[in-house]
Amino acid sequence: MKKTILMAFALLALPALAPADGQWVLEQCTLTYHVSHPLHQTEAVSHAARGKGFCHAGQCDFLIAVPVKSFDSGDSNRDLHMLQVTRGAEFPMVIVRTRLPESAATSATINVDLEIQFAGQTTQYKQVPFKLETQGGETHITGTIPATLADFKIDPPSLLTMPVKNDIPVRVEMTWRPQ
Amino acid sequence: MLRTIFRAQHSAAPPGLVFVWLFAVLAPSLMAQTAGMGALTGKVTDPSGAVVANVTVMATSVDNGQTRSTTTGTDGTYKLDGLAAGNYRVKFEASGFKSVELPPATVNGTETAVLDTKLEIGEVGNAIPVNNPAPVSEENLPNAPSASKPPSLQDLGFPAEQSQGDARQQALLDKRTHMLKIHQRLGLITTIPLIATVATSLNAGGKSTSTTSRDLHVALGGLTGDLYFMTAYYAIRAPRVPGTETRGPIRFHKVMAWIHGPGMVLTPILGAIAFDQKSKGEKVHGIASAHGPVAIVTAGAFGAALLSVSVKF
Repeated sequence: MKKTILMAFALLALPALAPADGQWVLEQCTLTYHVSHPLHQTEAVSHAARGKGFCHAGQCDFLIAVPVKSFDSGDSNRDLHMLQVTRGAEFPMVIVRTRLPESAATSATINVDLEIQFAGQTTQYKQVPFKLETQGGETHITGTIPATLADFKIDPPSLLTMPVKNDIPVRVEMTWRPQ
Repeated sequence: MLRTIFRAQHSAAPPGLVFVWLFAVLAPSLMAQTAGMGALTGKVTDPSGAVVANVTVMATSVDNGQTRSTTTGTDGTYKLDGLAAGNYRVKFEASGFKSVELPPATVNGTETAVLDTKLEIGEVGNAIPVNNPAPVSEENLPNAPSASKPPSLQDLGFPAEQSQGDARQQALLDKRTHMLKIHQRLGLITTIPLIATVATSLNAGGKSTSTTSRDLHVALGGLTGDLYFMTAYYAIRAPRVPGTETRGPIRFHKVMAWIHGPGMVLTPILGAIAFDQKSKGEKVHGIASAHGPVAIVTAGAFGAALLSVSVKF
């Protein structure tokens, strides 16, 4: 009987021995998409992304979201066309999800599987490389997501009857802070 | 009206023929936009059979995901025309009713598909955007499995108005883009007779001019004017998006419109006076002598407006 009670206490104590749950908060983020047209090279930037990471048992689930309309190319007309063609009023958020081991925070480079919801579509990108740099408790992450218009079933917008290129790489610069 | 005056003075001259010929050449490019398009129509009623007005009807192409939307009129009917042939999912949303999405219906270029529907009473604001992907389940997340609960959109604290879809706003943007695409195409087409008009002005306004060369100039000018005002119509009537501040090259584009717009009105008036003076065998004089400079400034402003949105400076 004593043995059983001791075992029960031991089992109850196991969660306490496991690594404590942690959280990451996206401190700063700059997202830049690049669009190529025979007459134009355009970039649009957003600083409006928010993100969180919940960690448990050595794994962290991250969620990053950014309003589609927050991207600014410096041309309001172009931004409104982007909003229309990506159905940004109907699907106003770009949502990125990923899962990483907690130990990844100490690596110099990581390859990440991303799941991105955008324009009413969900697409997965496998093994996207990112660079990590930790300074003063904050982790800076940089990389480029090789997105294309076709991935999200977006018809390439055209100017003077010439469509833009299918590739719309998104440069990511993020600073994460543990909470 | 000006062309009517000119035609009355030179009824046997060829400008009418030139006008018809040019329009016949240019018209197919405009007509092609509507060729092979189908339509979707129907009536929306409530459980009692009464018609329901202001229902948002949204057709989403199964093939390419493109969306078109409209609202029902006071008689409960709607019509979505200009749809490319294919299969469409149609969704109906109205305040106070449950949203309804019908199985894909086929639209072809020859017949109008009819889709009537009956709405059930529901809670206000229960609309869910079409094609909105279901929340990603934990099992579907990439990489290794985890026992932790993933963060949700609510955890990020975005205000509801920023993170919830708005079908009406999307319909507004769709209409705006549709009209501005036509504006852009017509603007491009307008440059052809505009350049031709400027080119023929050399023979129309010199010392040794002929009636034929003046008539050709008038006909081309008339065609340019017609196309120009059609172009302007689609820009002026394109819906404005509330809360949008005009920034970037489009500002210059709009400023240029304040130059070429009045210029496009003034140029033919001055041209008519000049034409009249020339026809009487007089040298162009007085205010009519401004026809050429005003036309050049107008054409220049039009070209600059076109370039401002085409080439990055």
